[in-house]
Amino acid sequence: MRVGLFVTCLVDMMRPRIGFATLKLLENAGCEVAVPPNQTCCGQPGFNSGDRESGRVMARRFLADFESFDYVVAPSGSCTGMIRSHYGELFPDDTALQHRLNALSQRTFELTDFLVTVLKVERLDSSFQGTITYHDSCSGLRELNVKHQPRQLMEQVTGAQLHEMSKPELCCGFGGTFSIKLGEIATRMADNKCQDALATKADAIVGGDLGCLLNIEGRLRRLGDDTTQVLHVAEVLAGPELGQV
Amino acid sequence: MQLTSFSFKSNVRRKLIDPLLQRNMKRFGGRFVEARAAVMTEVDNLETIRVAAAAIRDRSLANLDSYLLAFEEQALARGSRVHWAETAQDVNRILIEIAQSNGVKKIVKSKSMVSEESGLNDAVEAAGIQAIETDLGEYILQLAHEPPSHIIAPAIHKSLEEVAALFSENHHTPRQTDIPALCREAREQLRPHFLSAEMGISGGNFLIAETGSVVIVTNEGNGRMVTTLPRIHVTITGIEKVLPTLNDFSVIVRLLTRSATGQSITNYVSMLTGPRQEGDLDGPEQSHIILVDSGRSRLLGTEMQKALRCIRCGACMNHCPVYQNIGGHAYGWVYPGPIGAILTPSYVGLKNALDLPQASTLCGACQVVCPVKIPLPELMRVLREKSFEQGLRPWHERLSIRLWRGVANRPHLYALMTQMGVRVLSLLGGKKKLLHHLPGLDGWTDGRDMPAPQGKTFRELYRKRRS
Amino acid sequence: MSARDNILARVRRGLGLPGDIAGLERPAVQEYIRQNPRGPRPTYHWSDPVVRFQERSEKLGTSVDRVASLSEVPEAVVRYLNEKALPQRGVVWQGLPALEWERAGLMLEARGAHADDLVGVTGAFCAIAETGTLMLLSGADSPAAVSLLPETHIAILDVQRIVSGMEEALALMKSERGTLPRAVNFVSGPSRTADIEQTIVIGAHGPYRVHVVLYGSVHVQ
Repeated sequence: MRVGLFVTCLVDMMRPRIGFATLKLLENAGCEVAVPPNQTCCGQPGFNSGDRESGRVMARRFLADFESFDYVVAPSGSCTGMIRSHYGELFPDDTALQHRLNALSQRTFELTDFLVTVLKVERLDSSFQGTITYHDSCSGLRELNVKHQPRQLMEQVTGAQLHEMSKPELCCGFGGTFSIKLGEIATRMADNKCQDALATKADAIVGGDLGCLLNIEGRLRRLGDDTTQVLHVAEVLAGPELGQV
Repeated sequence: MQLTSFSFKSNVRRKLIDPLLQRNMKRFGGRFVEARAAVMTEVDNLETIRVAAAAIRDRSLANLDSYLLAFEEQALARGSRVHWAETAQDVNRILIEIAQSNGVKKIVKSKSMVSEESGLNDAVEAAGIQAIETDLGEYILQLAHEPPSHIIAPAIHKSLEEVAALFSENHHTPRQTDIPALCREAREQLRPHFLSAEMGISGGNFLIAETGSVVIVTNEGNGRMVTTLPRIHVTITGIEKVLPTLNDFSVIVRLLTRSATGQSITNYVSMLTGPRQEGDLDGPEQSHIILVDSGRSRLLGTEMQKALRCIRCGACMNHCPVYQNIGGHAYGWVYPGPIGAILTPSYVGLKNALDLPQASTLCGACQVVCPVKIPLPELMRVLREKSFEQGLRPWHERLSIRLWRGVANRPHLYALMTQMGVRVLSLLGGKKKLLHHLPGLDGWTDGRDMPAPQGKTFRELYRKRRS
Repeated sequence: MSARDNILARVRRGLGLPGDIAGLERPAVQEYIRQNPRGPRPTYHWSDPVVRFQERSEKLGTSVDRVASLSEVPEAVVRYLNEKALPQRGVVWQGLPALEWERAGLMLEARGAHADDLVGVTGAFCAIAETGTLMLLSGADSPAAVSLLPETHIAILDVQRIVSGMEEALALMKSERGTLPRAVNFVSGPSRTADIEQTIVIGAHGPYRVHVVLYGSVHVQ
């Protein structure tokens, strides 16, 4: 099966390692993975800020880049949610385009959801030394029902122990441009999330969306915590041998 | 009510550093959330009922004029008098006219959020009539001269100690130390007012077109008092509150009380139809119903019509992580939380509440619990679109969105710019790979570090690896 | 144009309904009201409405007693009042069947409620098993304040008049009474508030105690 990897702009810029981890996971599971070189962003920052045109422009780009694949996978619930929940409604007057976008949306998956639901991965050759607490990112959770998938996969990682925080489903305060426009609220929400996560004494806070992770890590470091790791679930699942990237 | 939604950001700043409010909001935390979750386990077909409830609300709204006329006809037939108020000011005017023409000196009120919209209490007092809030929370706030901060738990931002101090000071009584004693004291203070007031004002959770009834859903019993004891009862409620039938109400009430306080049913559900009847020993001699538009009709036929489904349960604010941290006052008007972020700009004008639709991470927690399936995040996004299109957002915000759109749609330019960008940021991040300050992104870096990028983009590394 | 006309016109314009005659669709609306369909509700996993009513009532803080016949009610009421060390006097609905209150030692006056009444005895039109709710209809011989002003509210109910849900209760009212009285009060436990620190306190403005005496037995018809 041919899978197109949608890296997402945040991973592309901030944490390429997550992209390579995703690649490895997909290839290990037997997928033929390609990374269309013209891909950029899903358009969500503009779309959620009130610029519908951002969504339309990027939806067309996404279609051009990915329509030929059997599946599209992204290491993000948020970008996948944008594609799955919103692309179809962006062109109310163009049913043909709508139809194509809807068809592609249905083949587009968040990474852990894809591994569990489509590929039915039951064995990962991976290890992690330490305890993990998992933050459920909002879009993945509420738009895509990503909840058991990452947990099910982490159970297959040797050595990884999951310690749930009290409110794993509570928003961390990222919210895309919200985190800048209303930074003070975002900071307070990140604070609450950090406290909840730290109370589990976990070695690593893990999640499926880099935006949330940057928000959480940013607050942790500002508070002087230099030791708690903040990792993308792909990094944990792919294991430590990612090589130097 | 005094509008301060336009200064949302500075309201927030104040609330976030108010230690008392923060402590009180922490305590508020998850109680409603837990109570709702527990009681919803009784409902094995929740989604089916939510869909039905939304459909009932949509049915009422789709033929609102006809349902209002059906209601009016029934209400008149049962001897109620129906008044129509186009604006909030009209509400006050009509109410004061009824009071003055009947020689009313004292009014007891049970909760009515619509009367908060019009600042009714101040208007009534200015006309020389005493108005006493009798819902415990509202009574506390009347003593404190504060507006409610939650639609069903108005004094949620107040602590036991604050209430005790208020009571002691206003009642000239020794300071109480426990909550039951405070409730008893309020009961004793308010009982004489129920018995002596000539007029009772209530809100109306619903109007029933089938029967011309006003339905109120309450716990304390003050709603029953103000609609039973005074000579005149006035209901003030929005035109959108009409339901076709009592059966429809039966469907909705199961979700309303569970969503609101986590109760299977509230202590009292009262269906009030007209004034006292021949031979009745109690009940008001006059029943008035003020139907309020005040901006509601403007929402019909627009994407915002779905917001008029709202049955005022408060679940959206209870579950909103933004509300949980800043409380209701920061929103600056009658309705806080997600539904307030939609209704306030819709009623008072987008320009006057520009930041409210932005005050959400669009996390979706509100939408999941809304009993009538209002797509709250979607409606906030629609308002954001209006702000953007009308050029109401700051120029730098609009510019950066357009720039990003332009760049992201030009892959080569995007590749070049991101490559340069991440190099610079990576260098600035230093050994600890953290950016403590980023010009233009103070909103982020004032409270958080920005983890620095790795230094090269995925596409660079991927190309290298493939070559 | 009156405010009423203006509002109705704005509503129609907003909704994009044709013409400017408010209520043009009244016939369709009336037809829906006439059909009066029942909506979905949670599955009832209980079969005995009396047991369910009792369970739910107690959960709400309503105490429930059960006696074999109406004539045993006065003694049951006295028993309850004694247990709670409450005064054996109060106000009662005129509409209740004649009972030998005095012989049981109770001083009940059949009238409207006064502010200083401590005990109010009422009947109930029916009760709802699903939620443990009493349905009280106001009327000349069933004044609403009797279940509201006194600190203790005692309701007497024929056990056969426990219906399953609110829909059945409303339907029963329509079939037996035709129209709604001035006030239909659904009462589910003693009054309460949680307005201070979300702490539930029983006894806000209404009764502190609600006690139900069920009498009779369920006949299979």
